[in-house]
Amino acid sequence: MTHMHIPDGILPVGVWLLGLMIMAFAVGFSLYRLRGMDMMKKIPLLGAVSAVMLVAMSLEILPLAYHINLSVVAGILLGPALGFLAAFIANLMLALMGHGGITVIGLNTLLLGSEAILGHTLFYVFKKRIPVFWSAAIATVLTLIMTTLALIGIVAASHIDPELVSHGGEHGLHQGGRVSVQTFAIMIVSLGSIGWIIEAAITGAVVKFIFQVKPDLLAHALHREKDGR
Amino acid sequence: MIDVARIDHWAASGSGPFHRASTAAKLLFLFFVVSAAVLSRNPYPLIAGYGVLLAVAAAAGLPWFRVMGLSWYAALFAILYAISFRGGTWLAALFIVKAITPSFAMLMLIVSTPYPKIFALFSAVLPEILAAGLFMTYRTLFILLDMMDSFAAAIRMRGGFSPGSLYKNSANISKGIGMLMVRAVERASRLYAVMVVRGYNGSMAEKGAVHFQRQDWLPLGAGTVVLMLVIVWK
Repeated sequence: MTHMHIPDGILPVGVWLLGLMIMAFAVGFSLYRLRGMDMMKKIPLLGAVSAVMLVAMSLEILPLAYHINLSVVAGILLGPALGFLAAFIANLMLALMGHGGITVIGLNTLLLGSEAILGHTLFYVFKKRIPVFWSAAIATVLTLIMTTLALIGIVAASHIDPELVSHGGEHGLHQGGRVSVQTFAIMIVSLGSIGWIIEAAITGAVVKFIFQVKPDLLAHALHREKDGR
Repeated sequence: MIDVARIDHWAASGSGPFHRASTAAKLLFLFFVVSAAVLSRNPYPLIAGYGVLLAVAAAAGLPWFRVMGLSWYAALFAILYAISFRGGTWLAALFIVKAITPSFAMLMLIVSTPYPKIFALFSAVLPEILAAGLFMTYRTLFILLDMMDSFAAAIRMRGGFSPGSLYKNSANISKGIGMLMVRAVERASRLYAVMVVRGYNGSMAEKGAVHFQRQDWLPLGAGTVVLMLVIVWK
């Protein structure tokens, strides 16, 4: 699933605060993994991939209100640690463009970053057995299914927030209303599944194109040169 | 599509009181408005707060009408979320104003502050790779937007866009994105090499020292009014 478009002030404080804390830890761990890297090669790569992600995210597929995000491509090209940082940068930039909230940067980075990590891992597992296009496409679909479930989990967790229920104000946030994570899940999965296929097709084609034109980007030569990983 | 180039133009070309205020004050203003949205359990004070922000934006010469339109983009997902609650119009109204008020404040910040100024402030607290990555992303984004425009024109002129064929369009767009990715990496590498040759060593030329000035009364005052509305009007 793409990043959440949930704006500020909607999710309970505990949920987004936890998201920010886990994100801070994950960013710190990613930076630790990247210590001693060749900055000359990685910073431009990080900037370029994050910028392409932003351009892709700004192109909305109108009838579906869906946009591709290329997080799996970022994971495949940059590796898990740098891919996670690209997800953080893309989300921060999006928030600075008024697209998505500030408080949900943590949760959005975790969702998008986990797509980069999962996509990277699955792609390199499949690549040994099947062609590049299908490896990237299948890795994308599986990754998006998992992160969509994570998104539904976040929404479910936010619906049962006791603080929200007990301090709902004069009218009460839940007064007269029935909570339905099921409705949310049905809407997200039905719209999202079309998006998964589009994202998978585009990711597969982009990765195949890069494999044909500039295969060294996929071979992770830039990452291995200095890190020895 | 997010009109990044237009936002950047507004940020760099304006000279109103909001433009003259310090970046730190405007970030504090944003913090107050986001806090107000988080604390609010009632849509009315936030509706009033949105009105205050509209008035301030108009008085400060910001493109308030365009900003208002952009801020409503945040309402789309809020509506979806409100539907899942089945809480009626009152709850939907609360979610919508919780979405659009901070969004409007964020847009007021970015249409009055060039991105490098915001990044300079971030670079004081962020690790070098993230600060440099943010700047490289911002710089590469504008190069890519130009390339994207040229690509869209080229694909139309060469008959690569067929309104009826989803398969053909997807294949061409994918190749375009692939080409964009390869060229973005090349351009960014070249740009970074030039920056290093010219003395870039990982830090921004303009350090983001936090300092306040007389013109800061407008963002600080507006942010405080919105926050007080939510605290007092329960």
